[in-house]
Amino acid sequence: MSGQSFRLASGGLVDRGRALSFSFDGKLYQGYAGDTLASALLANGVRLVGRSFKYHRPRGILSAGPEEPNALVELRSGARREPNTRATVVELFDGLDATSQNRWPSLAFDLLSVNGLVSPALVAGFYYKTFMWPAALWEKLYEPLIRRAAGLGRAAGTEDPDHYEKAFAFCDVLVIGSGPAGLAAALAAGRSGARVILCDEDFRLGGRLLAETREIDGRPASEWLAATLAELESLPEVRIMSRTTVFGLYDHGIYGAVERVGDHLPEPAAHQPRQRGWRIHAKRAILAAGALERPIVFPGNDRPGVMLAGAVRTYINRHGVLPGRESVLFTAGDDGWTTARDIAAAGGKIAAIVDSRPAEPARKALADKLGARLFVGSAVMGARGGRQLSGVTIRDASGAVTELACDLLAVSNGWNPTLHLTSHQNGKPSWDDGLQCFVPGALPPGLTVAGSAAGHFTLAQALEDGARLGREAAADAGQTPAASEPVPATDPETTALTPVWRVTGVKGKAFVDYQNDVTDKDVELAAREGFRPVEHLKRYTTLGMATDQGKTSNLAGLAIMAEQTGRTIPQTGTTTFRPPYTPVAIGALAGHHRGKDFKPVRLAPTHDWSKEQGAVFVEAGQWLRAQYYPRRGESDWLTTVNREVKTVRASVGICDVSTLGKIDIQGTDAAEFLERVYINGWKALPVGKARYGLMLREDGFVMDDGTTSRLGDHHFLMTTTTANAGKVMQHLEFCHQALWPELDVRMVSVSEQWAQVAVAGPKARETLRGVVDPEHDISNEAFPYLAAGTVTVGGGIPARLFRISFSGEQAYELAVPADYGDAMMRALMQAGAPFGITPYGTEALGVMRIEKGHVAGNELNGQTTARDLGLGRMMSSKKDFVGRLMAGRQALVEKDRPSFVGFKPVDPTQRLRAGAHFIGIGKATVMENDEGYMTSVAYSPHLSHWMGLGLIKGGTTRIGERVRAYDPVRNGDIVVEICSPVFVDPEGARLHG
Amino acid sequence: MAETAISRTAVSWTPRGAWAGIAQAGQIGAAGPAGVTATLLDGFGLATLIAAPGGTAALSGLVESRAGIALPATPKIASGASHDAIWSGPEQWLLRATARDGFAGLLEALSTQAAVSDQSDARAAVRLSGSCVRNVLAKGVMLDLHPSAFAVGDVALTSIAHVGVHLWRLADGPEGSVFEIMVARSMAGSFWSWFAASAAEFGCRVSTGRG
Repeated sequence: MSGQSFRLASGGLVDRGRALSFSFDGKLYQGYAGDTLASALLANGVRLVGRSFKYHRPRGILSAGPEEPNALVELRSGARREPNTRATVVELFDGLDATSQNRWPSLAFDLLSVNGLVSPALVAGFYYKTFMWPAALWEKLYEPLIRRAAGLGRAAGTEDPDHYEKAFAFCDVLVIGSGPAGLAAALAAGRSGARVILCDEDFRLGGRLLAETREIDGRPASEWLAATLAELESLPEVRIMSRTTVFGLYDHGIYGAVERVGDHLPEPAAHQPRQRGWRIHAKRAILAAGALERPIVFPGNDRPGVMLAGAVRTYINRHGVLPGRESVLFTAGDDGWTTARDIAAAGGKIAAIVDSRPAEPARKALADKLGARLFVGSAVMGARGGRQLSGVTIRDASGAVTELACDLLAVSNGWNPTLHLTSHQNGKPSWDDGLQCFVPGALPPGLTVAGSAAGHFTLAQALEDGARLGREAAADAGQTPAASEPVPATDPETTALTPVWRVTGVKGKAFVDYQNDVTDKDVELAAREGFRPVEHLKRYTTLGMATDQGKTSNLAGLAIMAEQTGRTIPQTGTTTFRPPYTPVAIGALAGHHRGKDFKPVRLAPTHDWSKEQGAVFVEAGQWLRAQYYPRRGESDWLTTVNREVKTVRASVGICDVSTLGKIDIQGTDAAEFLERVYINGWKALPVGKARYGLMLREDGFVMDDGTTSRLGDHHFLMTTTTANAGKVMQHLEFCHQALWPELDVRMVSVSEQWAQVAVAGPKARETLRGVVDPEHDISNEAFPYLAAGTVTVGGGIPARLFRISFSGEQAYELAVPADYGDAMMRALMQAGAPFGITPYGTEALGVMRIEKGHVAGNELNGQTTARDLGLGRMMSSKKDFVGRLMAGRQALVEKDRPSFVGFKPVDPTQRLRAGAHFIGIGKATVMENDEGYMTSVAYSPHLSHWMGLGLIKGGTTRIGERVRAYDPVRNGDIVVEICSPVFVDPEGARLHG
Repeated sequence: MAETAISRTAVSWTPRGAWAGIAQAGQIGAAGPAGVTATLLDGFGLATLIAAPGGTAALSGLVESRAGIALPATPKIASGASHDAIWSGPEQWLLRATARDGFAGLLEALSTQAAVSDQSDARAAVRLSGSCVRNVLAKGVMLDLHPSAFAVGDVALTSIAHVGVHLWRLADGPEGSVFEIMVARSMAGSFWSWFAASAAEFGCRVSTGRG
């Protein structure tokens, strides 16, 4: 079909001067600016737009809004392909490329529609019943079959090229929905000076006013709409957000919203995100989300061409599209008659009006005027047609049956308030017997409901509600309300309704839930099989699931269940709506936080220098640390690490240690404070000295270790491991604030202030000599092992020097203000060049600490005590400290607790594996024989074989014994010898050199 | 640490500020008139001051006599001609000097009344202004920065994109609100990644300046 043959010559809010090209299933069409994809398809006479979930039945466009269950399409292609978009809310743009989904091989000819023929097997609970049948059939037969046959669209499968954002907004009054109630509310609140945010999911503001031909103050409603929007736009504290769906209501007046910034464009504009997720903090909110129209359950009610009556009005009045040549109206209330009137006004032919209610003279007169046959007390008992509706069967009050040809059946069965947000905090909607719908029940704090969303369906009520609640909300939020103005008059309307939940006494598939292919028979089956509570009904039949969450189906499902079980609808219950109101892309929730921006990365002040040196980096918590520095010709990491280690042990190397935590601790009670948080003594530490310290958690296990230096009588500098820097700071703050607030101790993290580098190896001092200003004596005598003090570098730059060693070599740590970190590395490399200095990374650092038997993160794993680690003797018996008492618990001091020793392979060619468990030689590999495990391993270039550290029962008492290191994960089972954990320089002579 | 005193024996000890390699002067995002202006601050002196128990008044008096500003008791920034005192916790402040000359001497003097910890190199700081500045900050700051909720001089310790930030509002400029933000130096890159992405749609002019 070409040309917009269903487009009206005039009328509607589309711009006939701006034609837009788009494609659907590869075929090109034209629409106009202001169209949705659905309205443009209808304008072009396209009725068949999708296949149903289970039976692959042809489906068309049911609605004109977010509730659409049928017209789901894939939008765009390639990485931007987006499945399950509702054609009814997709804003048309030039070049839009849409594809139908869930059909094979083509939409018009779908082989899987044979599912419809085997439908007796696919009824409610089918999925669950397959579990009950022979298990062998499940994986091989049912699952692949169900997966192929049932489903929605396809995900893009590649990375989303677009950018998303998160944002935060604050307001006095949030107005959700820009129909007459929302506009009146925003205006009243805005005039009061309140900070107002007005959100609407649509790209055009006005709500139902856009779809109806109403009058306000005796003038077309469009004039009131234009004037209201103009005034709102003039108010500086009113923010209007179109294309923004408020999808969730959360605690404390927080609302989730998603703004579709670039969805109406082929791709987002430069520097713009595709979507933006909003968290809106509102002191007060007004829900003015309107209502959703309800279909009627009768056989064939899913044929393309069966449409909600209100949607028909939307297409006529807003989009200038008459979606059928020959129409029939099936209505249960007065509202449907408005559709008949609008069809006629648009020049459409109305073959018949089928009103389920008894005869009434005024309606007869109106039908005559419209030139329509009137069937009262009647029902549509069937709709026929394959890919599009071709006719209906009408049963009148006497039972007589009439067949009529038509290509559009408008169905009107009343409206359900869009009260979803009122339910997000577990609020239960309440049944209104007069209105025959659920209305908001107890409301969450700060929220009021206006207009149709409250069940106040007339335009006059909407305007009155909005104005009143807008003023009240502004006042509640602390503003002085503006003088109230009279609510404008509207043209008369009636909303009488006697809903028809389903047409009974008929044959054929009658759909309750279009999206999930749930029929009235499925609901009956659920009732028969005992799945009667609504939550069971939903799970058993899938009614109300998937992308539309039952917006058009829940009530009919309930009503049929009520009828089946002899209860009323409120007795049967209602489903509790949960966020989101409509589907939200994960991207909008993640915002900026994807890829490398998932969480912050911390870089040392020497990072760029290391990068320049070709370092390979490793993630250490949030930090990126240099792992090793490969040089030309080094084929693998081990070659590089071996060289780095050998260079340090033979000469000198430097390694960034800026990432370690550094806590400046001052105050007259600083020493006392350290006494209490560390297990060892601090009061006797002289100024100018560093000491290794170990701290426990309150439960007696080791928390962290590090060196702390005394810079003055009342001034210490504590270092922590990189991983625990934040945790230790928190622990110290807790100890001070909660346990000993009487102590004068003042502390702050200075981790970021200092660039710090380890300079290690026999040539460390000589290297430093070229960097530290000459007036400072750093000779072995003047600055022995564990000395700590201030020096200057580069001619007066303040620096700190610590003679501490993790490598076991003569070693120092030099700290300079971070701005000079880069210069410090260059200065050291230059000063060490005559000695063949090398930078080394965390791998070589790890090798050398294992060679020295120093514990690190693998051993300080939260499950080890000081005693386990061979550090029990550090625990002072002369003082109290955090963790002392609990460390004495029986289980923690038992003799055969695994404790810390070294391991070497008996066959020196064999590789050790961290994580291997120790088992006695000749013993079965069962848990009862487990004696401990390997915590750390490395290849020692010094020993030319692998070495390990670990925890084993008996610990140092078993040195010389052999055990198996059993590693079933990597098929390792080798014999190792228990040895001292110190593999290199056990006397510590190198430290003092 | 005046630069003139630095010897050139080994290498030139050129300081490298917190923004080096991360952000530089120029235009980010949309071309045309910038909706946001970012001034990368450098060369300022910064130190944590923590009063001794019961010593807040004495410390505040000392700061006032030496730097001309009293220490704010609540989350506020007190600004003087060359120094700012920025609340950073109960009985704790950041003292900022526009320039580093003489800062070490000032800290030395204050250490009689406070635990003083030099933080001059520990933070990356940026001043933000422009007609769209609040729109940019709204993409990361979880606080209400509307003038009626966040007054001139207000200070907040919060986070942006999981990066801890210290932020405050200065006196309005010709284009409305002016904010300054300090982040941990190590996270400057991640902060800037967020900022550049968030400011791009408005166009952002980046310049360098003194703190």
